[in-house]
Amino acid sequence: MTTATPTRPDRGTRPARQSWRVRLRRDRSLVLMTLPAVVLLLVFNYVPLFGLVTAFQEYDPLAGIWYSTWAGLDQFQRLFGDANFWNAVQNTLYLSFVQLVLFFPVPIALALLLNSVLSLRIRNFIQSVVYLPHFFSWVLAITIFQQMLGGAGALNHFLRNNDVGTWDVMTNPDTFALLVSAQVIWKEAGWGIIVFLAALAAINTDLYEAAAADGAGRWRRLWHITLPGLRGVIVLMLVLRLGNALTVGFEQFLIQRNAVGYDTADVLDTFSFYYGIATGDYSYGAAAGLFKSVISLLLIWGANKLAHAFGEDGLYRR
Amino acid sequence: MGNELNRRSFLNAAVSAAGLVAMGPLLSACGSGPAQRAGVGSEAALKAVLPAYVPNTSIKPDIPSIAGGPDVMTNPGFLSYPANRVATVSGIPGKGGTYSAVTPLWGTIPPADNAFYAAMNKALGVQLEMKPADGNNYNTIIPTMTASKRLPDWIQLPTWWNSQMNVGGLVGNQLADLTPHLSGDNIKKYPNLAAIPTAAWRTGAWGEKLYGIPSFATGFQIAGTLYFRRDVFDAKGITADQVKSADDLMKLGKELTDAKNGVWAFDDVYRYLYTSFGAPLKWRVDNGKLVHLFETEEFYAALDWNNRLAAAGYVHPDALAGDNANGNTRFFGGKTLISSGGTGTWNLADLQAGRAADPDYRRGAFNIIAADGKSTPRVDMGAGASIMSYLNINMKPEQIEECLAVANYLAAPYGSAEFTMVNFGVEGTHFTMVDGVPTATEAGKKEVQAQTYPFLAAPAAVVNSPGVELVTRDYTSWQAANVKALAKPVFWNMNISMPQAQATADAGQQVEDAMRDCIHGKKSVAEVKEAVASWKTSGGGDKLIQWTNDNVLQKHGTGQ
Repeated sequence: MTTATPTRPDRGTRPARQSWRVRLRRDRSLVLMTLPAVVLLLVFNYVPLFGLVTAFQEYDPLAGIWYSTWAGLDQFQRLFGDANFWNAVQNTLYLSFVQLVLFFPVPIALALLLNSVLSLRIRNFIQSVVYLPHFFSWVLAITIFQQMLGGAGALNHFLRNNDVGTWDVMTNPDTFALLVSAQVIWKEAGWGIIVFLAALAAINTDLYEAAAADGAGRWRRLWHITLPGLRGVIVLMLVLRLGNALTVGFEQFLIQRNAVGYDTADVLDTFSFYYGIATGDYSYGAAAGLFKSVISLLLIWGANKLAHAFGEDGLYRR
Repeated sequence: MGNELNRRSFLNAAVSAAGLVAMGPLLSACGSGPAQRAGVGSEAALKAVLPAYVPNTSIKPDIPSIAGGPDVMTNPGFLSYPANRVATVSGIPGKGGTYSAVTPLWGTIPPADNAFYAAMNKALGVQLEMKPADGNNYNTIIPTMTASKRLPDWIQLPTWWNSQMNVGGLVGNQLADLTPHLSGDNIKKYPNLAAIPTAAWRTGAWGEKLYGIPSFATGFQIAGTLYFRRDVFDAKGITADQVKSADDLMKLGKELTDAKNGVWAFDDVYRYLYTSFGAPLKWRVDNGKLVHLFETEEFYAALDWNNRLAAAGYVHPDALAGDNANGNTRFFGGKTLISSGGTGTWNLADLQAGRAADPDYRRGAFNIIAADGKSTPRVDMGAGASIMSYLNINMKPEQIEECLAVANYLAAPYGSAEFTMVNFGVEGTHFTMVDGVPTATEAGKKEVQAQTYPFLAAPAAVVNSPGVELVTRDYTSWQAANVKALAKPVFWNMNISMPQAQATADAGQQVEDAMRDCIHGKKSVAEVKEAVASWKTSGGGDKLIQWTNDNVLQKHGTGQ
């Protein structure tokens, strides 16, 4: 079993390393092509990392990073003693969990459904309809929800005129998690199916034909061919989702924060904004942001380990 | 040559913006160390340098200003545009200098190098390069300029962004001290600037020195007030003047709310009503002890009333959902009948926008009330101006004098020849007189109507609504009826520059959040009290009160 699968080259048989000069000559057009992306990454993702030092200061924009007073871990001490911060952490995790349960399976189901539609015309039509909301801004999406479900919206206007009690879901903190999940599904589920559709297209159709010839029904084919074919992508998306568990969105919560109250709608990103940037307390916001980044890194690392343990590729091959 | 210069400065600007984060430390390293902050100065020393006030008498308003108390007066009103456009500046103010100017603009940026700029440059005798910047992002544009020490020669820094733009740290470091040119009788060299009331100059003063040049100064500065749909009230036979207490307002809520037809009595009103309950704007001195708003019983009484108003169902649901942006649309459309806002909303544009939605539209404002209906009604007055321009510290004294001469031209009174030029452009090109009203041509709409020069300097505010007397009459008579209610709050018109920790506590975000939920009926007053308790201890509230007492009250008094 040394070189049985051609797609996974065995590490032992890799040719001896050539000198970097030879390799550079061989790959120079590839290197050239990736260069702009690397520069962008450096300028916009790595250089700003130096700004993290403000999390350990009493940063004063006028004095600049150089002359701001050093605060050590004071900001973090304040942060960990701040009930609003822990509230934001809790909200983030809760909303993330609810969205994982309610939102994550939707694009997969939609992709499977679309894949089973044979007429290309109907398929394209449905696809366009479910894609469209992705291109709306959150302001517009929430305005539409407010016009439909808000206290003065279409639904409540109807209820009121028929003397049935009103039902204002837009300002109800108890159902907020369901509301935002519904908004996310409406807006993003269509967009989310792209990657699954691509994975579906990659499944060898011979397998379906062979299974059908052997007498496998619709569900058996779904269970034994389609889902195993999607498994790699599903796990990859799950790893990414877990790694981003602390990033549940920003505008969506910023806009609706006043409607349901901060103790329900504040997530880590809005916390950094309101308690950091908006009040000029930059160092405090930076500390909250740094905390979030570190936890996210740990989460993505852990999720990736887990994926490897289950024999999947995860973010990269081992 | 010109092009080359432009390109170079553009490149420099790009470099400073892109390298800001990376080079921040290096840039500051070139400076001279931590900046000194200017704060409040001694009262006596400041009084000694404030400019003399010489009112302008060349143009008589139709409705004269009425004096209230010290520094308080109504804005004069003009029912028509003065026919005789008197000139108040003789000769050409400039001597051919070249200056750059940055102002905020809430609207479409006019084309650069347009005919209006050219005409203005000719009239002013200087090359003034106007660079209007998007007003909505202005507070993020300026800090990049100040961080790289690249302010233009002349810049507008609205006072509501004083702390965000750190004006207290910029004056004397990047912004020029104008005291030698304007203090006392020195200002008489610039008669139109001398006609700007003293309170406005005081707003631009930091630590006993004059820095800012005020625009639209007014002796009737209040945060805002409660408005109502006068046309609807008149049709229902409701007399707004009979509303004398918070209970009266609550009764109106019941009378006017008709949810089935999509009409609610109130929009958000807390922000402009809480002081009617006897709560201070922010500070109060009780028997010599400094007390913060959050520590007063009246504050909680105001919250409780607004909480009950929301719970009773008299507030529009969209307002309760935190949608403030569409407040005017609701008011114009008659979906709400009582709203609140700044006094700047009451003008001709408001009438036109309202009448587009409802032909009967007419705005009215309640008289200032005391919530209990028994105390003397009072409203805290604000600073003397909120639009303030500054000159660059790198300018030579003769350059400063040239710019002040230009400012004198820009501050010419309403209806003068200069005012007409600055606000309407060249007659025949940018405007024509239609029934005695200067009316913008297409070129005027494009080049002049987007206000730029008035943000560098402008005369004291007047009430006017050319072509429609109604608005001017309504607004001036409301001001006249309420001028006695204006009173100076503690620390009135004092520029306080505080350390970051205190500024953060001053913003009191956690209390603001709890407060908003309370007035929207989602939290109880007791929960706000809990938020205040935690603000005082872990939020730095107690330290803020101590700091303000030690550094402001004890050293400089109340400023009242």
